[in-house]
Amino acid sequence: MTAVIQTKNLSKWYGNVLGLSDVSLEIDKGITGLLGPNGAGKSTFMKLVTGQLRPNIGRVLIGGRDVWNNFHLFRGIGFCPEQDAFYEDVTGWEFLTGLLRLYGFPAKEVTERAVRALDIVELSKDKDRKVRSYSRGMRQRVKFAQAVAHDPEIIILDEPLSGLDPLGKRRLIRLIKDFQSAGKTIIVSSHVLPEIEAMTSRVIMIHQGKILAQGDIHSIRDLIETYPHMISIRCSDARALAARFVPDKSILKMSFGPEGRSLVVETHQRDAFFSRLQTAVVEGGIEVEEISSPDDNLQAVFDYLVVK
Amino acid sequence: MKQKENAGGPSFWMSFRRVFVFFFFLGRRTGRSRVFFLLGLIPVAIAVMFRIVLAGRTGDLVAVFNDILIVFFVTFDIVILSLFYGTSIVAEETEGRTLPYLITRPLSKPAIFLGKYAAYVTLMFIMVSTSLSLSFFIMNGHRLRDPAIYLTFMKYEGSLGLGILAYTAFFAFLGTFLKRAILVGLLFGFGWENVIQYFPGSTQKFSLVHYMKSLMPRRPSGGPLSILLFRLEPTEPVVAVITLVVIAAAFLALACWLFRAKEYLFEE
Repeated sequence: MTAVIQTKNLSKWYGNVLGLSDVSLEIDKGITGLLGPNGAGKSTFMKLVTGQLRPNIGRVLIGGRDVWNNFHLFRGIGFCPEQDAFYEDVTGWEFLTGLLRLYGFPAKEVTERAVRALDIVELSKDKDRKVRSYSRGMRQRVKFAQAVAHDPEIIILDEPLSGLDPLGKRRLIRLIKDFQSAGKTIIVSSHVLPEIEAMTSRVIMIHQGKILAQGDIHSIRDLIETYPHMISIRCSDARALAARFVPDKSILKMSFGPEGRSLVVETHQRDAFFSRLQTAVVEGGIEVEEISSPDDNLQAVFDYLVVK
Repeated sequence: MKQKENAGGPSFWMSFRRVFVFFFFLGRRTGRSRVFFLLGLIPVAIAVMFRIVLAGRTGDLVAVFNDILIVFFVTFDIVILSLFYGTSIVAEETEGRTLPYLITRPLSKPAIFLGKYAAYVTLMFIMVSTSLSLSFFIMNGHRLRDPAIYLTFMKYEGSLGLGILAYTAFFAFLGTFLKRAILVGLLFGFGWENVIQYFPGSTQKFSLVHYMKSLMPRRPSGGPLSILLFRLEPTEPVVAVITLVVIAAAFLALACWLFRAKEYLFEE
C-alpha cells in the first residue's frame, strides 16, 4: 500500500545554505514526530510537505500527487505554522470562520465547524476577543483550531506545543492523540524529546538537513543510554549525598555545583541511579530541593550521533 | 446550499470570490483603513471651509478650488492609497508571516492574489468615492439642480476608479518581488509621476497620471495656478481608458505569474 506522504530524494537550499539534503521518507497514518534542534531543517521539511516551498531536487507526493502548486490537495491538509502570526485585527471567531469560508463551506456549516473547533481547543468563551489580546497559549490553540476545523485527513503541526504551559501542553497532546484515534495522518515537529515521546513512538530525527535516525523512539532512547547522563541534585547537604554514592560503580564522575549546594553526577545507568538516589536520600535524611538534567536534551543525543 | 465544486476543487471564480469576501472584511477592520478614511475627510473639511469663506460666490474662485481638490485626489490620495494597499497585497502576508494561512488552502495562487487585489481596490474606491462625492457636492452645492454636474462627477469617479485600478496593479506587482516595494513605490508615485507629468510633448505619456488627467471632464486653462496644477497635452479619452486598462491587466498578469512561481521566505 502506498504511504500517505512520500518524499523522494528531497533537497532544498537557501542560496548557499543547505536546508534539507536527500530526504527520502514514507509517512503513514498515525502520529510521526519530527525531532531536531532549532535550525535542523524541520520547518523546511514541513514547508516542503505543505507546498510552501519548491524542492530544488526531489519530490513531495501526497496521495501520489506532487504538492507544489497543487492547491486541490489542500482540502485534505491542515497546517499549523510555527510562527506566532495572525490577522490581528479580528476576533478568534472571525479568524476561524474567515479561514473556513475559504474552503467554500456554506454559512451554516462554517458556524458549526467553528463552534466545534473552538470547543475542542477550549476557546469558546474567548471567541469574541480580538486575537491580539490572546495569551500565547490561546494563540497556539486558535492556530491549532484553524488547522483541524475543516476535518483534514493530514494534519501537519510545526512546533504546536511551543509557548504552552504544562497544562496546555497536556491538553493539546491529548487532542493530537484523539485525532490519531480518528485515523488521521499527523506530523508533529518539536525540539523537545519528551514532548514527542508523549505523543508517539514513531520518530524521525533530523539534523543539519539530514535524517539522522528514524523509527521507534525506544531504540533512539537506547542511544541515550550509551551516552552519560548528567544529573544535578540541589539539596541540603551535597557532600553527605556524594559520600553515599562513592562506592557506586554506575557513577562515572561526581562534582559539586556553585557554592557546593548541588551535586552533579554523570552516569550511564540513569534508572539505576534514580533508584539508588531515593534510598540514599531517605537513609541520609537529606532534603532535596531540585533535580535537573542539564544535558537531558536532544542536542546531546545529536552531538553523540554526529560525532559517532 | 452547498456550493457546487467540480471533482478537482473550486473553480477560479469561486476561489476569487471567497478571497475577495475574506479580505474585504479584513481590510475594513485594519487601523490603516481607518487612517486612510480620515485622510479622505481632509478634502471634505477643506470644501466645507471654502464654502463658508466663499459663501454666495459662484465664479472662477470656486472653480479653482474645485481644481485643487481634484488635484489632491489625482496626485496624492489615490497614489498613496494604491501604494499602501497595492504593495501590501503580498508584503503584509510575508512581513506578517500569515501567508501560510492562504497558500495552504484549496485556492489557486492567482485567485488569492486577484481576490485580495479586487477587495482592496473596492475598499479604496469606496473611500475615494465617499470623500470625492462629499467634497464635490459641498463645493458645487449651488448647482445641485444642474444635471451637468452629475455627469462631471461621474467622469471624475470613472477617472479616479481607473487610476486606482492601474496604480494598484503596478504597486501590487512591485510588492510581489521587492522587499522594500513601498520605497520604490514612493519614488515612482511622488517622484517620477510628479515630475514627468509637467514635461512637454509625449514624455508625459510615460506616466499613469497623464491618462487619468486626459479623462478629467474639466481642465483648467489659463490663470496663475493652472500650470502648477495641470500641465497636459491630452490623449484621446478612449485611448486613455484602454491604456489604463491594459497597464492594469499587464501588471496583474505579471504579478500573478510571479506570485505563483516565487517562494516566499520569512525573515526570522
